Amino acid sequence: MFIEIFRFELRHHLRSALFWLSAFLLFLMAFGAVASDVVQIGGAIGRVNRNAPFVIGQILLVMSVIAVFVTTAFLAGAVVRDYDYRTHELFFSTRVRKRDYIWGRFLGSFVAAVLVVTPVALGIILGSAMPWLEPERVGPFSLQPYLFSFLVIVIPNLFLMSAVFFGLATATRSVMWTYVGLVVFFVGFSIAGVLLGDLENEGLAAILDPFGAGAIGLATRYWTVAERNTQILAVEGPLLTNRLLWSALAAGVLILTYALFSFTAKESRKARRARRKAEGELPTAEVAPGASLGIRTGTIRAYSGRALSTQFLLQAGREVGTVIRSLPFAVILALGVLNLVGTASVTDQLFGTPVHPRTYLMFQTIASGFLLFAIIILTFYSGEMVFRERSQRMDEVFDALPVPNGVYWGSKLVALFVIVLAVLAVAVLASMGVQTYRGYTDFQLVLYFKGVFLLTGIPFLLIAVLALVVQVVTNNKYVGFMLMALYFVAAPVLQALHFEHNLFYYAGAPLVPYSDMNGFGHFVEPVAWFYLFWSLVAVLLLAGVHLLWVRGKETSLAKRWALARQRFSGPVWTTLVTAGVGAAVVGSWIFYNTNVLNQYVPGNVVEDRQARYEKDYKRHEGIAQPRIVAIRTEVDIFPQERAADLRGRYRLRNKTDEAITELHVTVPPEVDIEEIVVPGSTLATEDDEVRYYIYRLASPLAPGAELDLDFSLRARSPGFRNHGFNNRLVENGTFINSGGFFPHIGYSRGGELTDPNERRKRDLPPVQRLPALEDEAAWRNHQLGMEADWVEYETVVSTSADQIALAPGYLQREWEEDGRRYFHYRMDAPILAYHSYLSARWAVKEDRWREVDIAVYYHPGHDYNVDKMIEAAKKGLEYFTANFGPYQHRQFRIIEFPRYAQFAEAFPNTIPFSESIGFIARLDDPDEIDYVTYVTAHELAHQWWAHQVIGAAVQGTTVMTETMAQYSALMVMEDEYGPELMRRFLRYELDSYLRGRGGELIEELPLKRVEFQPYIHYRKGSLAMYALKDYVGEDTLNSALARYVADVKFREPPYTTTLEFLDYVDDAVPEGQEHLLEDLFETITLYENQAREATVEERPDGTHVVRLTVESRKYRADGFGEETEIPVDDWIDVAVFGERGDEDPPEGKILLLEKRRVTEAEGVIELVVDEEPRQAGIDPFNKLVDRNPENNLVRVTEGM
Amino acid sequence: MSLQLEVRDLSKTYPGNVQALRNVTLSIPTGMFGLLGPNGAGKSTLMRTIATLQEPDHGSITLGEIDVLKQKDEVRKILGYLPQDFGVYPRVSAQAMLDHLAVLKGIVHRGERRETVEALLHQTNLWDARKRKLGTFSGGMRQRFGIAQALLGDPRLIIVDEPTAGLDPEERLRFLNLLSAIGENMVVILSTHIVEDVSELCQRMAIISEGELLLTGEPRQAIQDLHGKIWQKVIAREELDAHRVRMSVISTQLAGGRTVVHVHSDAAPDEGFEAVEADLKDVYFTVLKRSGGAAAQAA
Repeated sequence: MFIEIFRFELRHHLRSALFWLSAFLLFLMAFGAVASDVVQIGGAIGRVNRNAPFVIGQILLVMSVIAVFVTTAFLAGAVVRDYDYRTHELFFSTRVRKRDYIWGRFLGSFVAAVLVVTPVALGIILGSAMPWLEPERVGPFSLQPYLFSFLVIVIPNLFLMSAVFFGLATATRSVMWTYVGLVVFFVGFSIAGVLLGDLENEGLAAILDPFGAGAIGLATRYWTVAERNTQILAVEGPLLTNRLLWSALAAGVLILTYALFSFTAKESRKARRARRKAEGELPTAEVAPGASLGIRTGTIRAYSGRALSTQFLLQAGREVGTVIRSLPFAVILALGVLNLVGTASVTDQLFGTPVHPRTYLMFQTIASGFLLFAIIILTFYSGEMVFRERSQRMDEVFDALPVPNGVYWGSKLVALFVIVLAVLAVAVLASMGVQTYRGYTDFQLVLYFKGVFLLTGIPFLLIAVLALVVQVVTNNKYVGFMLMALYFVAAPVLQALHFEHNLFYYAGAPLVPYSDMNGFGHFVEPVAWFYLFWSLVAVLLLAGVHLLWVRGKETSLAKRWALARQRFSGPVWTTLVTAGVGAAVVGSWIFYNTNVLNQYVPGNVVEDRQARYEKDYKRHEGIAQPRIVAIRTEVDIFPQERAADLRGRYRLRNKTDEAITELHVTVPPEVDIEEIVVPGSTLATEDDEVRYYIYRLASPLAPGAELDLDFSLRARSPGFRNHGFNNRLVENGTFINSGGFFPHIGYSRGGELTDPNERRKRDLPPVQRLPALEDEAAWRNHQLGMEADWVEYETVVSTSADQIALAPGYLQREWEEDGRRYFHYRMDAPILAYHSYLSARWAVKEDRWREVDIAVYYHPGHDYNVDKMIEAAKKGLEYFTANFGPYQHRQFRIIEFPRYAQFAEAFPNTIPFSESIGFIARLDDPDEIDYVTYVTAHELAHQWWAHQVIGAAVQGTTVMTETMAQYSALMVMEDEYGPELMRRFLRYELDSYLRGRGGELIEELPLKRVEFQPYIHYRKGSLAMYALKDYVGEDTLNSALARYVADVKFREPPYTTTLEFLDYVDDAVPEGQEHLLEDLFETITLYENQAREATVEERPDGTHVVRLTVESRKYRADGFGEETEIPVDDWIDVAVFGERGDEDPPEGKILLLEKRRVTEAEGVIELVVDEEPRQAGIDPFNKLVDRNPENNLVRVTEGM
Repeated sequence: MSLQLEVRDLSKTYPGNVQALRNVTLSIPTGMFGLLGPNGAGKSTLMRTIATLQEPDHGSITLGEIDVLKQKDEVRKILGYLPQDFGVYPRVSAQAMLDHLAVLKGIVHRGERRETVEALLHQTNLWDARKRKLGTFSGGMRQRFGIAQALLGDPRLIIVDEPTAGLDPEERLRFLNLLSAIGENMVVILSTHIVEDVSELCQRMAIISEGELLLTGEPRQAIQDLHGKIWQKVIAREELDAHRVRMSVISTQLAGGRTVVHVHSDAAPDEGFEAVEADLKDVYFTVLKRSGGAAAQAA
């Protein structure tokens, strides 16, 4: 009997359209993910193979999660079907045994669930065989990763989900409730993800994640390209625990379900109550036959204005009431609020440090975090509403009433609107709750209104229209749901296909970043036009709803079409024409702005241009060009118009020993050329698309001779763009720099395309990010460009009367003229050709450290951390002058700019500092990492490490800038906060470095040869320098560094390199530790240190002997992560910790911490301590790069 | 004013080639009109088409001056409709639901609406149950509620589709009483597969089967036409097949373990048969039998 039921069940699913449709969709997604770049699932980037075992696992994991939305329908159907068709009594009264019935049904559906995911594997296999794929990114076929993924990921996941929702369906006997359970499950899952997202909770999160994604993520987080391409995950540790735990739970749920399942035709309580009541009813007095009813009926005013408005309000009110009172709504909303509260509490954190909960952060959280819930609610309830009368079997009554269609669909639409607004209102209240809870009360209600109800609300309303349209037109709830899902999936797909124009995507509009400094700025106008456009489109869609609204029993498209023609009345025509013409006009206006006044350049076209730039002009790289020796600029900033006029003169000198006949000039795309004058030259090449210009000099420029280049450029912001807004020129907070707004000399490698796969598509050779370290010819140029060495600099900046304008240099004069403010700045010593211009309405706080004027220009109201920055600047000046040498300027300025970009950047004596990386950080808790001090110190350090010492533009150049700025900032931080906080900070650095390796697109290089790879020069740089300091001592290291600075600062070409840098550092390294530089700088060295066991024995003299069994392995990796073990022979920290007191690190009181020489991969270390030990370990503070930093400590147990 | 519903040449085919109506032409005057036919005969299709809820493939329907297929809004103003498959919002009280529907009928004045609703609740004997949730109503109460909502707004055309199906005898009786009280000067169409509904209530009737109109006229006249042509005999079960072969058995009925057969014949078909007074059932089964339709198996 079991077999029959099982087969019946399976056959039932295999015959359903849902099964085949979903299987096909899953197949397509997997195929697309592997065979194209359109679907981005699985993480096949850079050199990771499209069918790497890692990618296969990820794709199957993602698909097994997506598939749950379908398989739940299988399982719920298996349970509820009999009740729905009212065949359960029939079934239960037959001779079928409960055992056969339940297990047959369950297994049949479960097998169907597994089968529906199987096409994913097929999609991957087929996808990776497509002839257009680059052969170097397709690995050999192997069955093993598929088997592994199915056994370890897909089947356990589906088993768990099947069991849980089979159980839920059995308990509720309702498909709807089962789905509500599913939604609750996923939302809870994502909330847990947010709450456990911290580095410190990784292990717990890995075990608790029911899909195993966390455990797999934890095990593979540091995987390199080579490992992703070849490794199959080992089922051990958290992954094993996770799989066993959840499978056991699933089995438990199944057993419970079996026990609870009542195999009798039980009535629901509601039905029973209804029946009892009905039975209890007594006959009432009869109406005498033939008696006239004689009912006085009221005045009928059907179709009158008053009737329509009354009916409309009544219907809308009923719809709203029904939704708001329904439990799923309450559940989804509550989860939304929970999610919002969770996200709002951690928003904008850096290194785990919170920020002040400004209102804009709250409404941005609502816009991003509530979107999903709004979508779920709108999609679900639009379906409920459209089909409400039909599902209640009231449709025939309602449809025969004298009520126009417009009242029916209109009231439902308005109800959806009301629900959206109500949901947003709840979100606002919750956000204000979060703010209040965190002691913040500046609510900015108007900002809430604009941000939540206008910017966020309007797209939600547009989506409500779409949800309704989809339901009405398809006239199938589930097809409607699926189309809505497709709508949301379409957004990234359109992006990937480079259909980036917002006119391609319903309700699409540019993003509106908010900044306290600049408010909504110029971002509102374009969005308003796009919203108007989509609203008109929505009206057109609603006309479609009106015409195709199902009234009565005709549901075939042909009949509905015929009915639509009947409904095609005058007002419908007028609406269609008005909205159509309106949409065309507004659409054209948008197009005029985005594509005529501005250029609409999708990403692929940008890449094409980069490719052409390289193909056409690369041959000019390195040809003899004169260098800038003096810069004088005049910059007029017009904040209101978001415009600037940039004029200036470069004095160029031929520093080569050959005569120069051509001058090559490039101009950034943001500016228009008014005039570029190269005296005595003709313009030989004029390429306006990539903006490359070659001037042929009438008489060659002799070695040592000079030449002036005069330029006059204009930056304008006409109309609005589709994307890529110019957010440098803004009403309050203009920040323009030499890189993006001024002419440059010669071909620049910075403009090349770097993604290796995009390059291959365009037949470009593999990229060379930087010349080789040993390429002495390239030593002539420094990191920041080959157009200049050290220059004289002077500028006059003007801005509107209410703003201050800033640029590097010292203020010579300030005056007003024609209602504008002018500032004349001049540098008294040569600087790098690296300048910036800022203008805003700032408040200024000034201070002094010895002869140095310190000033912070900040947005009024953002004074939270200004004092902190000044303190940090003082400490930095103190430390850096003491350890690296004198500061070259008499001034240090920090200047706040809007949060459109999240960075700080060091210009000579001038640090533009984003609003979002410190100004609103909340540093009241002394345990949080003070990244305000860290960023300030880092940027200040660049005044030495960049603006004094600048490396040649070859491999390793950023060691002298970024790595050293990191180290300098770390030292300031350690002085201030002590080593324990540093260890926490370095854990973030270690994690970022190891993860960064997995995201490498080309090749990981040793620190010494780093090629602008942030995860190496920042993250690994911090770790390497800190470890080095730990081995050789801070003072020894710093004095070597000071000697280096003294010798190379302000050096003319050839510039310094890591070869020279490491020579100086090498002096600091004591004998016997020579391998340090090799491990830290010259190779990619990784450790796997592990404390296996620690036992203790108390000696008669009261001391304790700890015997620590350790494993210590050392590896060298190549650029793709292929590792080779090498013998270990290192001095490594070993430590014993006791009971933790208040002042102690989290590991406990340090009883012993010393370096021991470790020469064996496995060994026992004896440590003697005075107090009772609790924990012991090797490299407990993760000073070495260790891929499993968690297993370095072990609890001490009593010995024999 | 005497209203007349004219159905002309109405045809409707469902997907899968199921022909629900075949060229039905029918005149329905004011008064109670019974539409009789077995399940699946096309009754509901006809009723829904008249109630503006379905579109025929061809044909026309007029109600007085109104073109029913085109002027749906006009029809809905004067229509009262009780569909066959009729649910309720389970958590709403009878009074509240009726009030809601009254608004949709266009009775916007609050006071008038209350009066109307209360009067109808009284008339349909639901007054005492007016506060109860509709979900707790028995089948009969629900049907009475259904007729109450159909009567809202002074309809001139009332369509009740299979209202007695599933009601117990007492409820059915009460419901029929209610129907019979509906005024004379409106068109009332009652579709049913229960012959007694028609014989007890309707002045005129039509029989349809498999989409085809088999008979239309007054029940009394139809019975009259069969006078002396219906013969009855009590036989053993085993004899039934033999009888079927030899004569036109229109219906069989079990009575006390024996089988009672009715035979249509101009003369006594056989010994043992006695003439019986024809009733509407005999008319119905004779017509069905003639059309070769459903085997006449009376309950």
